[in-house]
Amino acid sequence: MRRLFAFAFATLLSVGAAQADRLDDIKKDGVLRVASFDSNPPFGFVEPATKQIAGLDVDFAQAIADRIGVKLDVRPTNPASRIPLLTSGKVDLVLANFTITEERAKQLDFSIPYFASGQQFLAKKGTLSSPDQLNGLRIGADKGTVNEIVLRRDFPKATVVAYDDTPFAFTALRNGNVQAITQDGPKLVGLLAKVPDRQNYEIPPFSISSDYIGVGIPKGETRLRNLVNETLRDLGKSGKAAVIYDRWFGPNTEQPLPRLFRIGEHD
Amino acid sequence: MNLAVVTDNLGYLLVGAWPDGPIGGLALTLILSGLSGLVSAVLGLLLGIGLAMSAGAGRRTLVLGLGFFRAIPILMLIFWSYFLLPILFGVSVPEIGTVVTALALVGGAYLAYGVAAGIESIGSGQWAAGLALGLGRWQVLRVIVLPQALRAMAPSFLNQWTALIKDTSLAYVIDVPELSFVAAQVNNRAMVYPAEIFLFVGAVYGALCLALDRLVAVLAWGARRTSWLSRGTRA
Amino acid sequence: MSLFGDLLAPRYLLWLLQGFEVTLALSAAVSGAGTVLGLAACCLREVGGPAPRRAVAVFVGLVRNTPLLVQLFVWYFAVAALLPSGMTAWLNAPRILDLGPATLSWPAYETLAGFVGLTVYAGAYIAEEGRAGINGVRSTQREAALALGLTPVQAFRHIVLPQALRIAWLPIVGQYLNTIKNTALTMTIGLAELSYASRQAETETFKTFQAFGIATLLYIGAVALVEAAGQALVRRAAAQASRA
Repeated sequence: MRRLFAFAFATLLSVGAAQADRLDDIKKDGVLRVASFDSNPPFGFVEPATKQIAGLDVDFAQAIADRIGVKLDVRPTNPASRIPLLTSGKVDLVLANFTITEERAKQLDFSIPYFASGQQFLAKKGTLSSPDQLNGLRIGADKGTVNEIVLRRDFPKATVVAYDDTPFAFTALRNGNVQAITQDGPKLVGLLAKVPDRQNYEIPPFSISSDYIGVGIPKGETRLRNLVNETLRDLGKSGKAAVIYDRWFGPNTEQPLPRLFRIGEHD
Repeated sequence: MNLAVVTDNLGYLLVGAWPDGPIGGLALTLILSGLSGLVSAVLGLLLGIGLAMSAGAGRRTLVLGLGFFRAIPILMLIFWSYFLLPILFGVSVPEIGTVVTALALVGGAYLAYGVAAGIESIGSGQWAAGLALGLGRWQVLRVIVLPQALRAMAPSFLNQWTALIKDTSLAYVIDVPELSFVAAQVNNRAMVYPAEIFLFVGAVYGALCLALDRLVAVLAWGARRTSWLSRGTRA
Repeated sequence: MSLFGDLLAPRYLLWLLQGFEVTLALSAAVSGAGTVLGLAACCLREVGGPAPRRAVAVFVGLVRNTPLLVQLFVWYFAVAALLPSGMTAWLNAPRILDLGPATLSWPAYETLAGFVGLTVYAGAYIAEEGRAGINGVRSTQREAALALGLTPVQAFRHIVLPQALRIAWLPIVGQYLNTIKNTALTMTIGLAELSYASRQAETETFKTFQAFGIATLLYIGAVALVEAAGQALVRRAAAQASRA
């Protein structure tokens, strides 16, 4: 038993001491492994025609892979799996509507933000108009999101029910099991656009936080992080970031949303 | 009921993104259950022999270890092997390997007792006869006892496979695109047809497992018949 | 991810304990209701007419041959969508039953769905254990009872069933153990039991090792205790039987 512990400990130390650079590994393998959502249009979802994951996050991931000059391999994730995937080394980057927080920054590094949003709510029409009402409601959230933590902290009397992914929470809302669901505003806008009976629902015009979305990067991979940041800044400067944004939230999309945030303004 | 949501996504539910991407859906469910079935059969056989042939402290350790895998919820075991193996040992197991490992450990732990019971069910007369012929203990096990025990246990190996087909649905929690996971994906995209999708998926699992169940019944009947026949000829 | 870092803060330990309570309460309720359901189905199969027999066989076959996860999704997401909306609203409405000193509150829908799903699953397995027990009672026993002038139902009730239950008791305890483990799956429908709480604590603290480790120990402890209790009861019953 003691030998097993010694072995485990030695392995831990060697992992900590290893100076292997992730960027070199990516180049050597020729593949950038990225975790993105598979059920959250327009950030990441399975495109019915191609059966591949597509979306705003995937476009940014593709730009990063192109910059390194390797193939992009997107694997599906849900909110709660994002950090374990990164810390256990199963993916190189997480681009999955990942809100930058201090707590998370202790476990991993973030890029500069490439998107911004606020935590909002989706409810049946007429049930919710101001944050004061939240305390009495049953509210669906996604496991492992900042939304869930913020809601529990700031509205202790609300009953939080956590689901694996936003559409599950929406099904619960539709079935009447919860009275509202919470997520980042743009994600809710994207979700509502896909709902067949969307006239029965609304996103009340208030938000209880403002969040910046960044790329999740393994801790201490400075070269990889610099490369991601440079790529994002260049996308902002060249206008490509705006093109990606318009592709998913532009005036001609299912979920038009004015673009208020620009990469590089909040470094 | 709107069955279009099922027919429109039938290909995705059956084989996932294949051939343009990784194989998934029902096909992956079969692969996962087949692989874990094989590994658990091997594990179960080895551990069962260990259980039947060991004694004292060695046996107690084995019982304790098997007890652990029989007591832990598979969901927890999947979390352990998925999130903690990489951190503890610095090895990154692919998701499919994680699921197969977890399912095979649990399946093997259950099978081990079946195997041990099968070995013990072979009468002591057979052991004595083998030993009297001058064979060693392990030779008797290999040549005389195991062939008989294994024939009697074939149904329980297949039963275990049915259980594994159902348990592969737990791979859902670590985003492995087997049948339950792709069903959840389709449900998440269509959003308003949970009844159609999950009832259909339930029916697919049901058909698969019932077919295996029939097979087990036929095999068990065959096994009974041959044992009856051999007894008949001996008389 | 800190591995052997500081101990989980009390608040998260409390979450895990609350989750454990939910797991235990749910397991106990499901074991009780599942035993009633399973034995009722089993008896119906023995003494009922051809139609009830076939119904029980179909029920047991369907439930035992589909994954519990899919069944829980059906109970939670599909059934709520299929029920008339008035019924769903009634099930979802918060109600409090005032019993004077104690108050009982109507369970949340995820609790109801989890309870029903697990009970049906456990019930189907217990029905099969019961049947195996009945098959284990020699048919001569039943014939002797009939020869003594008992009706088939009486012979079943007084002669076959008590012996069958004695045979089936340990396998039924095995189903209780499975129930404890199966409650973990209800985390996927938002029920705040032990696995859900461990995932929750892990999300907020990133102390994966501790969160999963404590949950695992609690599960194993509960399973080991119930198993030991079941075996002790069997031993006591055997001792009493041999004395009698």
